[in-house]
Amino acid sequence: MTWTIEGRFYFPAAARFVAARASAQPQRVFRVEDEGGAMLAEVPARALKVTARLARLTRRFDLPDGARFETDNNDGADALLLHLRRRRRGRFTDGLERAWPAVGVSLIVALVAGYYFVAQAVPVAAEWLARKSLPAVAHTMSEQTLLALDRFALRPTKLSTADQTKATRLFARVAAHAKGGRGGYRLVFRGGGAVGPNAFALPDGTIVMTDQLWAFVRHDAEIEGVFAHEMSHVDHAHQLQRVFEASLIPAGLAIFTGDVSQVSQIASILPGIIVQSAYSRGFEQQADDDGAATLRRMGEKPSHMADLLERVDRSVCGKNGCPPSWAGNHPDTAIRAARLRAEDKGPLAPAQDCWRPWKGGISLRCFGWQ
Amino acid sequence: MAESLARPDGAPTIHGVEFRGRGAEYFRIWIVNVALSIVTLGIYSAWAKVRTQRYFYGNTYLDGQSFEYHASAWRILIGRAIALTLFLGYSLSVVFVPILAGLWLLVLAAALPWFANSSIRFNARNTSWRNVRFNFSASYFEAFIAYVVWSAAAIALFFLIPFTRRVHDYFYINHHSFGGRAFQTKFSAGRIYAIYLIGFIVIVALLLCVIGASAGLVVLATRAHNYLGKFNIPIGPENFSLIVFVLFGLGAAFVTTFVTTLVTNLSISNTVLEGGFKLSSRASGLRVAWIVVTNAILIVATLGLFYPFGRVRLARYRMQKYALTAQGDLDGFTAEALQAQNAIGEEIAGFFDFGFGL
Repeated sequence: MTWTIEGRFYFPAAARFVAARASAQPQRVFRVEDEGGAMLAEVPARALKVTARLARLTRRFDLPDGARFETDNNDGADALLLHLRRRRRGRFTDGLERAWPAVGVSLIVALVAGYYFVAQAVPVAAEWLARKSLPAVAHTMSEQTLLALDRFALRPTKLSTADQTKATRLFARVAAHAKGGRGGYRLVFRGGGAVGPNAFALPDGTIVMTDQLWAFVRHDAEIEGVFAHEMSHVDHAHQLQRVFEASLIPAGLAIFTGDVSQVSQIASILPGIIVQSAYSRGFEQQADDDGAATLRRMGEKPSHMADLLERVDRSVCGKNGCPPSWAGNHPDTAIRAARLRAEDKGPLAPAQDCWRPWKGGISLRCFGWQ
Repeated sequence: MAESLARPDGAPTIHGVEFRGRGAEYFRIWIVNVALSIVTLGIYSAWAKVRTQRYFYGNTYLDGQSFEYHASAWRILIGRAIALTLFLGYSLSVVFVPILAGLWLLVLAAALPWFANSSIRFNARNTSWRNVRFNFSASYFEAFIAYVVWSAAAIALFFLIPFTRRVHDYFYINHHSFGGRAFQTKFSAGRIYAIYLIGFIVIVALLLCVIGASAGLVVLATRAHNYLGKFNIPIGPENFSLIVFVLFGLGAAFVTTFVTTLVTNLSISNTVLEGGFKLSSRASGLRVAWIVVTNAILIVATLGLFYPFGRVRLARYRMQKYALTAQGDLDGFTAEALQAQNAIGEEIAGFFDFGFGL
């Protein structure tokens, strides 16, 4: 009994082909004949190299001498292989790709793994790397960042010596109550330029305050709260964590999907930014909580910091403050201020809204990590 | 026999290219690939790559016959393992001992030509059409000149970028062969400079427009917030740089795709294959850029699920614009004997995304 399928036969190592028909002969022999029935090739089935089934792709039977039989009839090819008692390669994977339930399960696996990767694997790995990094890395990074900012955004300070002395004194007072101690941080003054009223921390403990921010301060505890907030960023190496997060996300995508093409690069820009700003909203909340704790240790009220936040916000955006931002790296000012005011009475339980990560940011606290 | 035999009078015949893949079909292959890669902690990704490549090559038809991708997943897996080890070694050593970064750069520069050659050769030799394989052969020195010397020159002097692109295209195409016949491309530097000049002007204009538009948007949203109180569009000054970044990112992607499409058209359309064959590529730069950018937006909007459909959509348009003009008979190609070689170069290069090719 024989089994026959139609296809094309390519002559050995050549681009020339003729219409042909392949059959399974007794004794596991594979034979190819042309349309007239003349024999083109005959080989034992063992000697064949057959491509794995994939979608509707042409199936190819490579003969040992460089000749080839190929057919678009995949079911026929599988039946022929069955008659030749050859393994039908790729049948399992092809079955998965054909079955909608398997596709559904795959979809769920991919989405769950993706969420887990973004919400847990990346932050944990970034924090570990940030902790393990040498101080030299933090130092070089801070120097380079400040150099770049000085060139493009910041100006030399115009604060009077008296103001600078006063700010430095307050800064030292806060540092004494913070984790790193007096030697752990360094205050530098800059004109804000385009940055406006702001303060920010660099990984090596340098904290930059702009003249414009100082101008808004009406109570010592207000700027002390800001210093305490920035010191928390330094203590937790938040800046370094952000750098590692930024490189872990595309690396993870490339490893899992094996694709680094242009389309996927462009497509990863926006989610990358959104995920990153969610992480950094988590950092900001942590820094606010730590800052409030430091203020309380100093015998001050965290609500002073809320006053400064709102004053700055109104000056930048008008009487109702700035609109809440959907992908900014700070949580809404109104939410932050309310929480800081509540902290006057004592430490609050972490108020991470883990079910709405776009509000407060993704945090390890959601997974019981402190 | 093939439908389009050379006409007896010797007039050239045009053979079209066509992509027959379907989005829904590739979606299933892709999602199973992703899930199996995750479940096997990345090991399956080598097989996933082979299946993906086979799907795209096998659905690309020239003159009614499809291309084929032959690489073995095991070879790719070994290459990936080595690449990953190198990458981790590099990353960790740079994090913990920053001075090593300079040393790595030198090692990379020395190894780059080797990566480039083995990567392109692996791909070429594992590609066939009508039972005949492609081949690529270039010396370390030639690759060194093209990918190290010229690339460094382009980084140092940006106006050399178009010229360097031509050097890369010459290197890539002119060392390829099919069935022992060489490919050859040649075009004037002036034409490639013209394309880049247009792109450059558009990018600068775009940057200015985007900054203006974003500033306007932020000011408007903030004003609205102050008049309307709580009811508002959530776009604060904090989002300014973000809006600029996203809009400019999309715009820049549009322009770069436009430029690379025109350059590919230029180098492919000037390519001849020994024996009276001519290639052509007539894709519209605007159309390709539109497809790439809308794909990116749709991929983001669907949490990545549009990716397979987008890829098929791009391939379908891109492929149908290629063609082969034959003076003679397509049956005349014969395979050349190829020596065995390894996949390691290709995977290491692929992992670091040097992106050789057109």
